[in-house]
Amino acid sequence: MSEVATVVAGWGITFVLLATYSMWVVLRGKNIGQELGIGEIQDSDPGKDAGATTDS
Amino acid sequence: MTAAANSGAKMTATPITRVLGVSALAATALMAVLGLVVSPPDVIQGEAVRMLYIHVPSIWIAYGGFALTSISSILFLRRSRRRPDQGRHYDRLAGSAAEVGVVFTAITLITGMLWGKVTWGTYWQWDARLTTTVLLFVTYLGYLALRRLPAEPTVRSRRAAVMALISFINVPIVHYSVDWWRTLHQKASLSVGRRPEITGEMYWTLLYSMLAVTILATWLIIHRYRVIRLEELRDEEGLEALIASRLNKAVGSH
Amino acid sequence: MLAEALLVARKDLRVERRAKIALGQVAPLALLILMVFAFALDANSSLLERGAGGLYWLAVLYGGTLLIQRSFDVETDDGNMDALRMSGIGSTSLFLGKASALFVQITVLELILGPGIVLLYNVRVVDWVLLFAAATAGTVAFSVCGVLWGVMSAGLRVRATLLPLLLVPVLAPVLLAGSRAFETALGVRTGAGWTWAGLMFVIAAVHTAVGLGAFGFLLEEG
Repeated sequence: MSEVATVVAGWGITFVLLATYSMWVVLRGKNIGQELGIGEIQDSDPGKDAGATTDS
Repeated sequence: MTAAANSGAKMTATPITRVLGVSALAATALMAVLGLVVSPPDVIQGEAVRMLYIHVPSIWIAYGGFALTSISSILFLRRSRRRPDQGRHYDRLAGSAAEVGVVFTAITLITGMLWGKVTWGTYWQWDARLTTTVLLFVTYLGYLALRRLPAEPTVRSRRAAVMALISFINVPIVHYSVDWWRTLHQKASLSVGRRPEITGEMYWTLLYSMLAVTILATWLIIHRYRVIRLEELRDEEGLEALIASRLNKAVGSH
Repeated sequence: MLAEALLVARKDLRVERRAKIALGQVAPLALLILMVFAFALDANSSLLERGAGGLYWLAVLYGGTLLIQRSFDVETDDGNMDALRMSGIGSTSLFLGKASALFVQITVLELILGPGIVLLYNVRVVDWVLLFAAATAGTVAFSVCGVLWGVMSAGLRVRATLLPLLLVPVLAPVLLAGSRAFETALGVRTGAGWTWAGLMFVIAAVHTAVGLGAFGFLLEEG
């Protein structure tokens, strides 16, 4: 492979992988949130435990 | 404020993480411009040097993520020893950091192999860093597999935390044994001339890339943390529904 | 504490002697593996001779994994693990006991595999002391890690696949060092054998220490 092709492949794979993973995380959160009927998460404190609406 | 309107769009987002997310997007876009267009080709390596700007930040995030996993695991074990129901947030942090670490380890390996092919002429070298990294990758895939299994949450978290610790202790052992292997029996086959002189624009581009990737990784870890929290909530709900049937059978089926 | 450990080890070995899984099934399987290696390397005697050390440890890894699995299947099948925990035996004794029982079983396996490579691969032992030192250290590391990962995947339905996935990365340095030490002991490579055996002892010691410290966490139920 030429240098340019290598760089294109490396950066391309990296960005595709990161975009896919980011989408997966966001969509998974969205799906489970809907499943649970939780809508008020984003109003809670933006600290680490923002997801904790019913901390047990 | 915007809860009702946006709840369907971004369930695990808060204003802060949304700002962080947009920053990550902008930062990585700028990183691509700097790394691919603005920064000059290297005298020795030519265009291939551009791999540097994703390879090095990836390994930094990978090792940083695994270190975070280990620290959180220690904190979790200390907390949960006193009270078993405590320290769950450390467990979640350990899990999300490990997963992001695994993603970036994969990127490190892929970019490293591609880069190796153009500069060394071979995809793989059995040197200490490469071998350690690939073993690390498999180790943390195992860690994630252990976390995903159906088991009692506290037991599973504790097992995962112990595994994270052992894996971390194992990193230097692996590294030094492979290093010995390669130096005791043969000279390093390729001089490490792959390291270009990093100065000026290249230096700043690399530094900036580290920053951009760190922002992205932080955003990912925070989001993943919240998704793990949601997964736990869902499992708890599912569990309550199962309790009735669990009372009938001694060991509930999954 | 040691008396309790001995008790646990004896119990495991008695169960094993009755079932005869280790000798009756795992050992023949490991010997078969030695034969299959010869098929893979085209029964090329010089290749087999040079690779004998590594192939030996691979066969130990394979057989050892099965023995570890077996050692914890026995515990979890009938809720024995709970019974042991209730019995008041400390986690340290439990750890040492189970590790000793595994040590004995893996040693038996190795006593069959050792002559196996000598006979089948036509190798000659030039340094018996090194051979035994490396084998002992390696076996300790195998048993200790085996107990740790065994209890970690115990009770999970997927343990058959999970155990090797967890075990191999952590044992990789042992396999590497063991192969090199054996090559020296078998006279196919000069020097450095004792360095590798030393490394194996260090690894065994580290994992024993970690195991003693961590085992309690793994036994506690939520």
